[in-house]
Amino acid sequence: MRYLPALGSLVAVGAVLAALPFLLSAYHVALAAQVGIFFIAVLGLNILTGYTGQISIGHGAFMAIGGYTTAVLSRDHHTNLVLTMIAAFAICLVFGVLVGLPALRLSGVYLALATFALAISVPQLPLKWSKFLGGRDGVQTATTPSHVWLYAAAWTASAILFVLAWLILRGRVGRAFRAVRDSEIAAVASGVELPLYKTLAFGISAAYAGIAGSLFVLATNGFAAPDEFGVVLSLELLIGAAVAGLGSLWGILAGAAFIGLLPTVSSSVPVIGSAHGQDVVFGAAVVLVMLLIPDGFAGLVARVRRLAGA
Amino acid sequence: MAVNRRKLGALLCALLITAAVAGAAAASHTGTPGVTSNKIVIGGTFPLTGPASLYKTIPAAEQAYYAYVNAKGGVFHRKIVDNVLDDQYDPSQTVPQTQKLVEQDHVFAVVGSLGTAPILSTWNYLNKLKIPQVLVATGDAFWGNCVHHACQGGTKPWTLGWQPDYPGEAKLYAKYILQKNKNAKIGVIYQNDAYGKNYLAGLKTGLGSSANQIVDAESYNLGDSAQVIAAHVVALRAHGADTFVIFATPTATIQSLVARTLIGWSPLTLVNNVSANRVFELLAAQNGANLDGIISTVYTASSTTQPNLPGMKLATSIIHKYAPSLDQSLAQGDGNIIYGLAVGWTFVDALQHAGKNLTRAGLMQALRNMKETKNPFIYPGMTVETSKKRTFPMEQLKLIKWSGGKTGDWHAFGKIFSGLH
Repeated sequence: MRYLPALGSLVAVGAVLAALPFLLSAYHVALAAQVGIFFIAVLGLNILTGYTGQISIGHGAFMAIGGYTTAVLSRDHHTNLVLTMIAAFAICLVFGVLVGLPALRLSGVYLALATFALAISVPQLPLKWSKFLGGRDGVQTATTPSHVWLYAAAWTASAILFVLAWLILRGRVGRAFRAVRDSEIAAVASGVELPLYKTLAFGISAAYAGIAGSLFVLATNGFAAPDEFGVVLSLELLIGAAVAGLGSLWGILAGAAFIGLLPTVSSSVPVIGSAHGQDVVFGAAVVLVMLLIPDGFAGLVARVRRLAGA
Repeated sequence: MAVNRRKLGALLCALLITAAVAGAAAASHTGTPGVTSNKIVIGGTFPLTGPASLYKTIPAAEQAYYAYVNAKGGVFHRKIVDNVLDDQYDPSQTVPQTQKLVEQDHVFAVVGSLGTAPILSTWNYLNKLKIPQVLVATGDAFWGNCVHHACQGGTKPWTLGWQPDYPGEAKLYAKYILQKNKNAKIGVIYQNDAYGKNYLAGLKTGLGSSANQIVDAESYNLGDSAQVIAAHVVALRAHGADTFVIFATPTATIQSLVARTLIGWSPLTLVNNVSANRVFELLAAQNGANLDGIISTVYTASSTTQPNLPGMKLATSIIHKYAPSLDQSLAQGDGNIIYGLAVGWTFVDALQHAGKNLTRAGLMQALRNMKETKNPFIYPGMTVETSKKRTFPMEQLKLIKWSGGKTGDWHAFGKIFSGLH
């Protein structure tokens, strides 16, 4: 009975998502797929930032690794695209754990800077190994999926990864994560193995970003290029997580929609619009969100609920 | 508690259904997409913001030209509507923006979009849908080579370039260098991507058996700092080069020219056409570069050295009337504005040849069989030409040399070189 309301909203969202491709034009299906891709990335970042309190400004780098995994596997071996997504998940899990190791020694702003370095350096790798990773001219997958395929893949993966996150976070591991966030000393005193849980959180979060990156490249007609994974992408993910707030399905949906739709929507904002830069619209929206709902969308939902309850 | 969840859910459903109905209403079209009795809707993606945004005068000039044509009654009484979208030179933005043009705005054709990677990320998509992706603003050889030969999973008959291709341009430089000094020791700085490598390959082809006279070729990455660029320039000089060739994008070109002067080096210097825009050279001069004697090429007319050409008078009046914010750039000699007007002219010319019953295939037919001798914005005496065999529309260039120091300009010399590709 405890999970009934949560299950209710999950089923409702699932039903709406299943119906969408039949209701929307092809273009809107592509946009909805984009939201699904960012849903996965924000969900992953939420595990790291929201639950264990480790800030990452470098998740775009994991998306890049996941994206290039898919592009290279498809180009060289014509691998099934779903398999490339799983490969991206696995490879990014390993990378995430490796990056998580230095994170044991760094915290707060220092960790943020270390991950920021990752965001800057990883997109340079294709230029270094331009034969294998295509250089600035990018890597093209052997096959390009349709909008509907992409939509289905993005939201199926979202559903699976959401349930997986829920399973991980509801029990022992989730409690340990939260303990680490609230006070590392108290957590260690209570028997939480700090190195294990901190690197685990990094690994899971990176693996989620890897799947998102894989889909991100498929959404770009299967074309992976360094310019797609700039520093701004990492910042956008962090903004998405901030808009989402902590641990709510609605919050993550809102955060994903915010970063997935705003660049396209903002170009049709009058006066500011395309000619003066989507970044202006984006920045203004972030300021407004932070001023009006500092706890993110999840905080807003909670507040509305309290008001209705009172 | 549960009530609020339900309310939120209902709200979401209502919003989505509204969006769906609006989308369906917009999708009802007949005949050729984007073409009605009084309108032709086209679109393109450009870096309007971000690091490459200095190119944004190109779409502004194209829109100004269409506004001028529309004011004269349009093409077969149809007005041209050009939707320009910002992609920040980032393929992951080019794709959704191009999808928006095709699936939301239902454009007739994608015209003039800029950048090699942005075009590569969308050409499979547009060719599959048989939507013209024409007059793209990049000189890579792909656009001409892949019309009849398969590239990245198929031929690309719906993609067409416009400007001279980079390897062809580089061949001309090779010719010039050997003519000037048979035993030239050549040092090259090039951008580490298809753009730079296309140029370098063209130079080697052009040099032929003299290709071993390239004593050093240094590559840099887009976004490298001025110090990195300067280090490459120093290395080229240390290798004993007496001829300096710059195959770069504007920022790196400016940095290279400044570094060359700072280290007191004065070899025969050539810069590629992309960077031979007077406004960039003025910037380099402001930062201390000595420019006199530098060589490059041109294929558009110049608003500063040829102000009395009818085409340049027309350019000044069009820009003044329809894009007055560009007046100053044009007066300084921003070649990108002339480029935009010239591309607009070619597109309108093709629309006229495609006839009253406009179709996408008809447009391609017209664009693949052009013989433009009257484009007033390109260099006098040059033609834009295509045929079944000829897939590169512009194959002519003229050499130019900088003189006049800090307030100087490019001056054309010699004959027009043809058949570059």
